[in-house]
Amino acid sequence: MQKLKILTAIATMVVASPALAQEITVWDVNVDDAAHATYYDHAKAAFEAAHPGATLNLLSQPDAEYYTLLGTALASKAGPDVIWANGGAQAKALVGGLIPLDDKLPDLIPKLVGKSAFTGPDGKLYFIPTTLQGHVVYYNKALYKAAGLDPEKPPTSWAELTKVCDAFKAQGKPACFMMANKEGYNAEFFLSEAANQSLTAQQQADWLAGKLHWSDPPIKTILQAWVDTAKNGWYQEGGNSQTMFMDEFALFEQGVGANVMGLLSNVAHWKQFETNMGVDKVGVYPMPSPTVAADQHEGAPGVPLDGGVGYGVNKDSANIDLAVDAVRILASPEVLSYLVNDTGSVPANTEVNTSGIDSPGLKQIMGWLATRAVPTTHANSSAAELDEWHHQSQLLFNGETTVDQAATALDKVQAEAKPQ
Amino acid sequence: MLFLLPAILLVLVFRIFPLFWGFGISLTSATSTDPGQFIGAGNYLRALDDPNFRSAMANAVVVLLSVPIFVTIPMLLAILIHQGVPGRTFFRSVYFFPAILSSVIIGSIFSVVLSFNGNLNALLGIAGISGVDWLGHSATALPVTLAIQCWSTFGMGVLIFLAGLSTVSKEMVEAARLDGAKMWQIWWHVIIPELRPIIEFSTVITTIGLLTSMFGLIYVLTGGGPGTATTVPEYLIWAAQGKLNRPAYAAAVSMVLFFMTSILAWLQIRILSRNANI
Repeated sequence: MQKLKILTAIATMVVASPALAQEITVWDVNVDDAAHATYYDHAKAAFEAAHPGATLNLLSQPDAEYYTLLGTALASKAGPDVIWANGGAQAKALVGGLIPLDDKLPDLIPKLVGKSAFTGPDGKLYFIPTTLQGHVVYYNKALYKAAGLDPEKPPTSWAELTKVCDAFKAQGKPACFMMANKEGYNAEFFLSEAANQSLTAQQQADWLAGKLHWSDPPIKTILQAWVDTAKNGWYQEGGNSQTMFMDEFALFEQGVGANVMGLLSNVAHWKQFETNMGVDKVGVYPMPSPTVAADQHEGAPGVPLDGGVGYGVNKDSANIDLAVDAVRILASPEVLSYLVNDTGSVPANTEVNTSGIDSPGLKQIMGWLATRAVPTTHANSSAAELDEWHHQSQLLFNGETTVDQAATALDKVQAEAKPQ
Repeated sequence: MLFLLPAILLVLVFRIFPLFWGFGISLTSATSTDPGQFIGAGNYLRALDDPNFRSAMANAVVVLLSVPIFVTIPMLLAILIHQGVPGRTFFRSVYFFPAILSSVIIGSIFSVVLSFNGNLNALLGIAGISGVDWLGHSATALPVTLAIQCWSTFGMGVLIFLAGLSTVSKEMVEAARLDGAKMWQIWWHVIIPELRPIIEFSTVITTIGLLTSMFGLIYVLTGGGPGTATTVPEYLIWAAQGKLNRPAYAAAVSMVLFFMTSILAWLQIRILSRNANI
């Protein structure tokens, strides 16, 4: 009897093993988010319909520790088949563990925007972006009106932005801008926002290649602007110990600050603010830069734009072809439409229909994306540079270091991260 | 010997093997996605040239200088409770309460209390004192973090010292009192010498705790900042792996921390034991 039980168990495992091998595991930080539920449900249904007997297993991972867990799993060859990642430094740090997708998804890739955030040093695409991420400024129209400003005419130049902040400074409260730099994230946003017109297209390319340095005039000007805006009272007190996610944006919604450097997708974006503050109470504008480069037009600031999040395939996956198809489905226009409608994320696939979304903010943003998209400077920095910029930005904010000292420290890190 | 085998196996598998494994990784250029190559002492040499590592070590020195405070406060409170102050049971419970809270909860509470618009600055405002960004300035962030760590851990120290005080000879104390010794003389000449083994134990445990158990609090309170003002070696280990994808460098810093803690603990035991024999 005992032998029979053992044999039955072995037989069950043998029979089950092909099915187990047909399970594709996806790690993602948004699986437990109710707003994403429809998107994942449709992705899972589409995948399992296309591959009878196969299962798409979507596993939620904690946001704060995601890259630590993922790094540990990849190092021990225990990572998932499909890997979710943020575009930029985090995605680029992972390319060694992924397969290039250029030859795997040739029909899908031409329809995508924001690929540079997911492109490896060899020029190949390692993640398929599903959303676009960009940086704009959201503002509280009621507070503008109360400060004697025209809520329908947001600033389009640094001089106009300075006048706006002078008006709020004269009032005392609220702050002109919300500031949350405890993790250094606000400094990241500021870098890209301020660089959007300060750098020429060539300088943006040089930055990506590590040929434009932190101590070079265009970047140094941005560091100085970071110091000057703090010194000139643009931000609320205590910004260096203020957490960005989600405290800063909640405080903005409560009217603690009149402007906030926000995002296009996921969180702190048009949908969140329009839902929580009212469609007619919140406005949006691309942030002007302190200087205007030769190939830019004064009064028409750009929107730093790149791939937001995307999916890649673990090179150690036992089912690479199936994993690739899971990525294809997760990034397909039909499935992505649920993500866009439910979460307000801006899609990276140009075939996703957004015409059904009735939002004045999104309409403006989509218009700018078509004509004014510029590279996201901080996403084209290495992880080490960003980490050092977090440190230096906090010290600059307090006046504990100088722009020259900060730029020198950052140059050193850049030279190591992007050797020439 | 057979009964010891499970414990020995557990220590070997979960302590000794990872230690040697980590040391092995620290000699390579491994990343999360690449096993890398053998580079010998490369990561250790890199640490010497890393301003963040130097800052973490400088902060570790500040942390170590605070050890006497971490030991003295619970010892004095335990002696006061032991003297039979009114409400001692209540005080003992209150003192111990923070020790049962997780560092994340404590960090979250104090993030609110110490924020610029938080409770502490509100109280100072009532007294006409302008607010301070306690966690946002290099001058205040580390001392404040250490004060919170002290508040959250001294309850355990009080219990340890109370246990030690229960072994102090009542006859000796009574004899000293009959000889006309004042209270502070009884403390200094009778009670504290009797507590020497407890002081030794508390000093070693506190040192190890401060060097290896502050991550949670720092992560929530300051994220190692501003700049690197609250970055200690264990936080740097996390940052190297979790933020910069440098597990081999993280392993090297881990080994430095391991040896530093081991040597310090050994020195403390030797010094305190030698003094005990004088």
